[in-house]
Amino acid sequence: MKSFYKLVLATAFSLSSLSAFAAGSETPEGKVQSTFPPISSDAYEKFGGKYGMDRWVEGLFKYIMLDNRINYIFTAHGKIDRQIKLNQQLVAVMLGAPGVEYQGASMSAAHAEMGITLTQFNAVVEDAYLACEDLRTPYHTCNQLIAALAPFKRSIVTR
Amino acid sequence: MNGYSRGCGKKAAIAFACATLGFAISGAAQAGIYDAGKVLATSGVNITDGAAGGGITPWAVIAGYETNQGINGSIHYTYANLPNYSLNSLGVAVGFYDRLELSYAYDLLPTGSTFNTVGLLTNTLAGVAIQDSGIDPFNTAIRMDIFGAKLRVLGESIYDSDTLIPQVAIGGFYKINHNGALMDTLLANKRKDFEAYVAITKIFFPLDLLFNVTVRYTAANQTGLTGFGGPNKNSREFRPEVSFAYLLAKNVAIGAEYAAHGKNTDGRGVAVGGGIDTSVLGSITGALNNIGVGGPVGNLANNLNSTLTQRESDWYDVFFAYFPNKNLSFVAAYANLGNITLTPKQTGAYFSVQASF
Repeated sequence: MKSFYKLVLATAFSLSSLSAFAAGSETPEGKVQSTFPPISSDAYEKFGGKYGMDRWVEGLFKYIMLDNRINYIFTAHGKIDRQIKLNQQLVAVMLGAPGVEYQGASMSAAHAEMGITLTQFNAVVEDAYLACEDLRTPYHTCNQLIAALAPFKRSIVTR
Repeated sequence: MNGYSRGCGKKAAIAFACATLGFAISGAAQAGIYDAGKVLATSGVNITDGAAGGGITPWAVIAGYETNQGINGSIHYTYANLPNYSLNSLGVAVGFYDRLELSYAYDLLPTGSTFNTVGLLTNTLAGVAIQDSGIDPFNTAIRMDIFGAKLRVLGESIYDSDTLIPQVAIGGFYKINHNGALMDTLLANKRKDFEAYVAITKIFFPLDLLFNVTVRYTAANQTGLTGFGGPNKNSREFRPEVSFAYLLAKNVAIGAEYAAHGKNTDGRGVAVGGGIDTSVLGSITGALNNIGVGGPVGNLANNLNSTLTQRESDWYDVFFAYFPNKNLSFVAAYANLGNITLTPKQTGAYFSVQASF
């Protein structure tokens, strides 16, 4: 039994040090998100290129503004049009769109004072899937974007 | 012993579990810590041991739809229809802050035809039953209480998609099998025991895949339904379990599971009246064959020997899970539980329904 507990503790400690390392690394907003395994190289194309991605972000904001769990946060922040534009840039960069530049603040700087909870973050994830369905984007394609955006949880969720 | 007639302990335990869940949920609502913020389907489903996981294997996920902001939980009923048994599991699991999970499950296994035959046979062999075999022909059921706890130690199976770091949880079960006399007949060393496990879960979104590996430290025979340990000792060992789930849609997953089982009573007989282990029949058979006794007598001995030899196999299942919303989920599975005690090829359909609050 003793050896078993030692094994568990040793595993837990070595993994938690790895985790702390990963959590400390800032998610890159200026380049393609690296995931394990990598997102499929044609994800941007499958999303319909610039036109499709732009519509997807509009769809996402449609569902966010209809979502009583979170719409008040976005309303209070204001400038919805600018939020949409920045998000259009962000997701395009994340999926490796050529010649697109993200002009917003870093995710952690932009959300630092907002006290976002994981429940609120997950509400946006659920709205993201709804936006995919609106655009008839297959679940598998949608998951490429979800994989790319998931690590932002560490920058955005502060509670 | 009639397994159904001793159910007051069961009812009390279920009432206790339901009351606990009720208080936890209503308390959570009053204190504003009720939460259902997890993404759909990421709570897993409740296994027959009561913990959150796949069908038979506990995963590193914490039960319920709560995040680190609150409390949530679920109840389940599972029915598996096997040729010689039916497995019923009823349970409750509560997740606290997506960190701690407490669970309770009540498993009921009416043994049907298997022990009817054995009971009649052993009653006949022993004449007047010298000791209680725990078998009541036509009316034997195995009942087990399972108390579980699980702690998520590190990792986020969903959000750590940019690293290979998995979600890791440690957990344990305390299982109380209420059919002590039958466990003696089946040569199990104990009827109550604990199990401990480490579960590692990782979701690979680019592949729409969830992968889980669990290592369980246990001496259980058939998850404890036929006791713990063998005739001579109760030696726990590490047994691997592997699950994968392919996410077909945001509310549908299909997958397969494998759980290694032990060999504590494999190849052993059963103890019949007066504590005689039927594995002695093996030597009788051998002796008969050696001295050239064949024909009807030799065949009878051979048949009796193979009929009364226990076997245990690793468990497999293939499942389909559907989550119409966060309050309800269904699992349909095909389970291959192999040899269970005296009966080979126990494969059949498995259905489970869960409600979350």
